[in-house]
Amino acid sequence: CSLIFSISSQAQGLPLADGKKYIIGDIKVTGTVSFNEQTVIAYTGLKKGEEIYIPGDKISSVINKLWDIDQFSDINFYITQVRDGNIADLEIEIQEVPKLNKVQVTGLKKREKEEIIKENKLRTGAKVSENLITTTRNYIENKYRKEGYFNASAKISTSEVTDTTANTNLVNMLVDIDQGDRVKIADINFSGNEKFSNWKLKRAMKNTKQKNFFRFWKRSKFVRADYQEDKENLIDKYKESGYRDARIVTDSLVEVDDKTIALNLKVEEGDQYYIGNIDYLGNSVYTDAQLQRALGINKGDVYNGVLLDERIADETKPDGEDLSNLYKNNGYLFSTINLVETNVYNDTIDFEIRIVEGKEAYFNNISVTGNDKTKDHVIYRELRTKPGQKYSQEDVVNTVRELGQLGFFDAEQLEPKFVDPDPQAGTLDLEYSVVEAGASQIELQGGYGGGGFIGTLGLSFNNFSLSGIFDKEAYKPVPMGDGQTLSLRAQASTFYQTYSLSFQEPWLGGKKPVSLQTSFSYTRQFLFDYINRQADRSRSFDILGINVGLAKRLTVPDPYMTVSHSVGFQRYNLNNYNTGLFTFGDGHSNNFTYTFGLTRDNTYVNPIFPMGGSKFKLTAKFTPPYSLWNGVDYANLAEQREYQLEDDNGNLIDQQGNRVTPENAVGDQRLIDQKKFNWLEFYKVKFSGEWFTQIYDKLVLRTNAEYGFLGAYNSDRGVPPFERFFLGGDGLGAFSLDGRETVQLRGYPNQSVVPLDRPAGVNDDGATIYNKYSLELRYPITLKPSASIYALTFLEAGASYDNFRDFNPFQVNRSAGAGLRIFMPAFGLLGIDFGYGFDPIGGQPGANGWETHFIIGQQF
Amino acid sequence: CGEYQSLLKSDDAGAKYTYAEDLYNQAQEENSKKKYRKALRLFEQIVPQYRGKPQGEKLSFLFANTYYQLGDYYLSSYEFERFQQSYPNSDKVEEAAYKKARSFYELSPRYDLDQTDTNKAIAELQAYLNTYPEGEHAEEANDMAAELRIKLEKKAYEIAKQYHLTGEARAGNYQAAITSFTNFLSNNPGSPFREDAHYYRFDSAYQLAVNSFRDLMEERLVEALEYSQEYKKYYPEGEYSEAVEASAEDIKSRLQNF
Repeated sequence: CSLIFSISSQAQGLPLADGKKYIIGDIKVTGTVSFNEQTVIAYTGLKKGEEIYIPGDKISSVINKLWDIDQFSDINFYITQVRDGNIADLEIEIQEVPKLNKVQVTGLKKREKEEIIKENKLRTGAKVSENLITTTRNYIENKYRKEGYFNASAKISTSEVTDTTANTNLVNMLVDIDQGDRVKIADINFSGNEKFSNWKLKRAMKNTKQKNFFRFWKRSKFVRADYQEDKENLIDKYKESGYRDARIVTDSLVEVDDKTIALNLKVEEGDQYYIGNIDYLGNSVYTDAQLQRALGINKGDVYNGVLLDERIADETKPDGEDLSNLYKNNGYLFSTINLVETNVYNDTIDFEIRIVEGKEAYFNNISVTGNDKTKDHVIYRELRTKPGQKYSQEDVVNTVRELGQLGFFDAEQLEPKFVDPDPQAGTLDLEYSVVEAGASQIELQGGYGGGGFIGTLGLSFNNFSLSGIFDKEAYKPVPMGDGQTLSLRAQASTFYQTYSLSFQEPWLGGKKPVSLQTSFSYTRQFLFDYINRQADRSRSFDILGINVGLAKRLTVPDPYMTVSHSVGFQRYNLNNYNTGLFTFGDGHSNNFTYTFGLTRDNTYVNPIFPMGGSKFKLTAKFTPPYSLWNGVDYANLAEQREYQLEDDNGNLIDQQGNRVTPENAVGDQRLIDQKKFNWLEFYKVKFSGEWFTQIYDKLVLRTNAEYGFLGAYNSDRGVPPFERFFLGGDGLGAFSLDGRETVQLRGYPNQSVVPLDRPAGVNDDGATIYNKYSLELRYPITLKPSASIYALTFLEAGASYDNFRDFNPFQVNRSAGAGLRIFMPAFGLLGIDFGYGFDPIGGQPGANGWETHFIIGQQF
Repeated sequence: CGEYQSLLKSDDAGAKYTYAEDLYNQAQEENSKKKYRKALRLFEQIVPQYRGKPQGEKLSFLFANTYYQLGDYYLSSYEFERFQQSYPNSDKVEEAAYKKARSFYELSPRYDLDQTDTNKAIAELQAYLNTYPEGEHAEEANDMAAELRIKLEKKAYEIAKQYHLTGEARAGNYQAAITSFTNFLSNNPGSPFREDAHYYRFDSAYQLAVNSFRDLMEERLVEALEYSQEYKKYYPEGEYSEAVEASAEDIKSRLQNF
């Protein structure tokens, strides 16, 4: 029953003061209306025969509803007649807002006119309300004033379109703009200033400048808002030097002529003040002395109001080292610090710093919102703020930074929100709101190079979910959200194909940050005939590689250390493939290695441009020492029958092809090498160290030293031709078949720095030992996240050797030069270096001279 | 199909309306997504024109329901909401309320992603149940709301459990686990994860205590012991009773040293 009542009361509404109940009779719509009458009535929701109070809230809500659609400039309700005592005929009189027919702008160039029309949305059909006219006028006038047209004015008039055929309710608009002349500041005059020169004061005004012959490329126009701001800057300038009472007594603007104005400012400087006693009240966590040290402003210093405020709480730096952050980084979120002047005598001011420490704040609930792809566990493991932990502003700032570095979220939109801070209980909740960003890349390339068409297809998913690959629902378009990386790459040309796949899980097992990295690659290359520009598909060289590694961040001795282990296997398979690279054209070679790595990296803050810290890296790569147990006498392979040179009929021959007796038999180098390199046997140790030192401001010195050594367990078996070091040039990983390592040494051509005592022309083999030192001075031009650019100059020296007997760390090839690096997230690192090599290479008579190096996507 | 194509291009709203309604009815009978999709294209064109007209009410509902049938729950929730607001007196309003809530239910993602839509779904389902306690879909709505609440509980539970799991690797995570489980237990009475939460809270406290410096250990052992007693009180013969008992014994013997 009550339900029925409520419905009926809803229909007729509630009466206002002396509202009377009527039954609706006819409804009529009058006024200037382009709408269908029925549409308007249906929109009001009023129905014939409905009971209604007049006046009453139903009518009011109908009027509001009509207002809300912004189509009418006037709405009136009338009862036209009352029949049979309570049947009311209604009339709705509405006045539609006129629509814009044509707009005409005068006083501007065509392009500017169009801009005005576009920016104010003065399109045909727009509703011409008072509001539109006023905002348009203000917009235009402000626009030109900002550009220095101080006298700009806009007049807007409308005229009705008279159309005899229909009631159109259209208006034409005329916007008449008088830009006036651009007003420049001819003069800024100061009076009353004794302590500071006019020049100094003019300099303090950052955006209001006097016209000057030397400043023809900079603006000297007058913008009121800037001027107001600059007056404050002027006073701040005084305050910074202890003139606490400085003020601008009067300022006036004088029109010199149509185009120029002058500004007259009268200042009152007052006295220079000094800091007196600073007392701390209410501090129990920190002693006065500790606070005084943190404040860093002492008795007798010139009073600097701006600095004093900054030392107490710097609003512009959330991670600054000021007093309030001292408290906030240690749990006292609810602390407040007030600076009070207690006594002013002569030119000295005494202060009290009043501290209300409040209760220590603890995080209660930490939540993350907005992660519609990345799963909770991937995010929560990165959070430094934890439930039950003491509040620390530093942790919040660091968490935001680290979440941004994951690359899964838009770093610009990451924001921590404090929810229900409760000073009584000393708790607060924290919510990180994240916005997912695209974490996948696709690379599709086609090009002509190296004698044929090269096509590349690369896919990389940086927030992959391996567990989702069997879940049909998860394909949107690929399973995402476990923070794993999967990349696939295929490259093919007429003479080679490369396929690679790699997968990385940063938290294997979810318990500890142990990362698992696996990769698989396969390369097949056909012998390319450069004369006929054709690949010979019957002669090929295949490399198959598999690598599995684990890396773990250590906590002891410090959290910057990472230990890694990896196991790799490569198989090289040659099929009638004779090049200078190998002595045997048919056969295979296997490379099974274990690599141990230890790195320590405490560089900070920006990984692209570290300002300090150091980076050390030690890696050791081993193969099993097969020759220890396989019983092969590698020294005397040539004396064994099966490795001796023979002709097609199995008869022993010498190099010239003459038949020889077994006593005079010679070894077949191809067979010997095949045996020697069947399973590669070597060990390789590399060390590199980098130090970053801040010299002055943002000028950073990078000092780098590195060494590498490749050795054999069994000297008879020897060091394999694989895995060697090639020194010189840009150091970019060239397309390498043999596991070679290219080492950067600018000022010399790529891979040109060979051991000194090598006969000229033997450059194919890399060296087994190298060392390299470099000093690099870097200065950033910009470090914005969108693009980081820095310039550098360098001194480098390095050399490679064939064995330890020749090793001389001071007999090196030296170079010097300068360059530029640009890092953009979309492109990676791009750079150019010009280097001058002071020493000769490869039998040249003099210094190597200038070399230009292009650096693309190399590590920074 | 020629008629359909020419209708799409024509300006005849009335003809479109009739044809679209026809398609909609056929789609409903045959359960054909293809026909729903065709109807939708017509609806999209004519809905704005009929807004405020007598046919608008029915059309709005059909439009919203087409999105719903096609599984485009993001738009169906929005259109049902609009329908509810525009036609609060319609006799379809209960169905619209239910389907709006149901749309959010369908949008609700797996537990370890952002649960904004889940919270909305629960609020909408609750609103439906409050308005129509005897409604046609009340039982389903109840079941869905219960399912979603369990999803939220699972989320909170799993987050707390991750702190427990990573306690060894990350300093402070055992403490975080204790706080999170305590919050979980007080916020979610009657959750199916309560026993596990009790156990893991105890285990976190136990692990934290035994890995502490000596001067912190006693206090933490006592705290852990309290949690073990709480577990035993609620689950005298629980799944983890043996493990709890064994750890509690260890705590007691360690406490002898203080």
